[in-house]
Amino acid sequence: MKQPGPEKVIKEQKIDEKWWKDWERRGGWRPEGWKIIEINDGPTLNDLKPEKFLIVHRPHGNLFHHSYGKVSKFFTGLLEGKLYGTKCPKCGLVYCPPRAHCFNPKCRLAETQWVELPKKGEVHAHTVMAIAWPSMAHLQPLVGAMIRIDGTNTCLPMTMRDVDPEKVNIGLRVNIHIEKQPKGDLLDVYATPAEEPKPPKRTPEELKRFREDMEKTRAWVKKTFGAK
Amino acid sequence: MTKKVGIVAGSISRFDNPRHTLQEEMCAEAVRMILDDVPELELGDFVKKGYACCYSYFSDILEQQQCMHWIINDYLGLSAVPCFRVESGGATPIDAIINAALWIRSGMFPAVLVVGWEKMDELPIQKVNEAIAIAGDTDWDFVSGFTYNAFYATMEARRMHVYGETEEDLAEVAVLCHNNSLENPYAQWPAQHGFSKIMVEDVYKSRLISWPYRLHECAMTSEGASALFLANEELTKKLTDNPIWITGVGFGSDTMRAGDRPDNPAWKGLYPEDEKIWPKHVPPPMSPYPDLCNFGALRVSARMAYKDAGVKNPRKEINLVEIFDPYAGVVLAGLEDFDFCKRGEGKKLLRDGVIQPFGELPCQLSGALTAQGHAVGSTSIAQVVDVYWQLSNQIGKKWGAPSRQLSNIKKGFIHGHGGTGCQAGAVVLEV
Repeated sequence: MKQPGPEKVIKEQKIDEKWWKDWERRGGWRPEGWKIIEINDGPTLNDLKPEKFLIVHRPHGNLFHHSYGKVSKFFTGLLEGKLYGTKCPKCGLVYCPPRAHCFNPKCRLAETQWVELPKKGEVHAHTVMAIAWPSMAHLQPLVGAMIRIDGTNTCLPMTMRDVDPEKVNIGLRVNIHIEKQPKGDLLDVYATPAEEPKPPKRTPEELKRFREDMEKTRAWVKKTFGAK
Repeated sequence: MTKKVGIVAGSISRFDNPRHTLQEEMCAEAVRMILDDVPELELGDFVKKGYACCYSYFSDILEQQQCMHWIINDYLGLSAVPCFRVESGGATPIDAIINAALWIRSGMFPAVLVVGWEKMDELPIQKVNEAIAIAGDTDWDFVSGFTYNAFYATMEARRMHVYGETEEDLAEVAVLCHNNSLENPYAQWPAQHGFSKIMVEDVYKSRLISWPYRLHECAMTSEGASALFLANEELTKKLTDNPIWITGVGFGSDTMRAGDRPDNPAWKGLYPEDEKIWPKHVPPPMSPYPDLCNFGALRVSARMAYKDAGVKNPRKEINLVEIFDPYAGVVLAGLEDFDFCKRGEGKKLLRDGVIQPFGELPCQLSGALTAQGHAVGSTSIAQVVDVYWQLSNQIGKKWGAPSRQLSNIKKGFIHGHGGTGCQAGAVVLEV
């Protein structure tokens, strides 16, 4: 028998300890304020009466120290500007997102092998986010696409840049890019069109509505974050 | 011992956002209604009589509490009673009902009280979205920049591309659900928006969330509670002269990540008749069913429930349906996955008026998730309660809206699922 440790740190990007300590201290459940309100309530809309409620504003936050496990190589790959997937030596399925063990029931959880993937793929399905996560709200309207990287049997969800949202369609060929200064997470990866996009069929009403939606979304972004 | 499980009573404490009332208080409101309906039922007798409780809530984050069910159990005066919590994302409440039914069938418990609730107003909406989205894979889905809305939206984009569904179809589903909710005194939509009918144009006027989905085509985050008292055949007949039976239960699953579905060997060959339905203009993936167009977990759960209930032809035998519809397109996908039509033809049932309130197969009579509301742990329990009230002819009494009561109905089907269809459950109710 052997002990697995101690762990060796090979490389590290440290977090700002002071920033987190401050956040963590404040995120500790203690009410930072309160309000008393009155509203009608009851178990059905035929049975309402006025009630008073006290509401406290109670913060709570955490910092996780998360391991990417045996698929860590995908993320270290991003830090080196490379795209990796895994391949099952038994059935040949190629995964990106990678799996350390093949999920083909016939392969009895065979261990997979790493393969470098081309930075090319195709849109399998897509959307245009008019509400994205708060950290990405300035990028709205934001195209999200399920990308099948060439040679893989899966789709990797990623956002698209340098494309008119109106023109994204299923089947569009894309180039895949990794941020110049990668942080080691999926947001480092994005796609751009590799060909002139052919828009999906839309009725004139649908097209008009789509364009109005995009205008409204862009106007909101401009108002909230200023001109780009 | 028969495998029949009876619904003795069901109740809802209304959906709204915010409710401000505590989880345990909403649960108490719901359980009180059950006690009113079943005067013989004594909470103090549960241990002596060997009854159990099954609790359903989704998110420890939204509740700001782990093991919330211990609080509920205690608050209801049920300390000492055997109790369990079930959690499986959006499938939580249907899963709780299925578990309770199976415990009764096992002969272990003569009766199980199922109570479900959710609290969703205490975080800002983006954080609520986040709490829901981390039911997606936090290494590969959630951190890709996609919201949960976006994942469902990509799946609907695929349905539009492969089957030719339109934005108008989605808006029509939303209109159906919202207008169905207007006389439902437990529904969130009328509580917040009043009692007037809406039209397709009103749906178009609601803001775009993630193309093709607009606000009114997405579930409303809610707070509320609901309860069901289930019992074996003998006890059910003793406690009520108007029983409805859970004659079939089923559940199924699919990949955690929707993106892993196109070439999944686990699905290949499972439903060959569905694999053949594929248009020429789209290159078929290795496992064309379900791909991202349909929800395979729904299919597995529905066929299991039909088999369990002895339903041979669901389209002819089932009289009303409640589909778990976090997004409008799921109604159309569901109709296909539940064998009410062939894949790709869900839109036809909609366009032909089949699923309208007095059509051949009324769907979403409660208003479902987009209008009754989606207080996750309570959602499917409330949908089962609504169908139970329909089948037991109680809509007049429970809704105060006798005109909404259907007549000559024998069998209802209710489905629930979690994630992007990662897990699903279904039950068949019979008079």
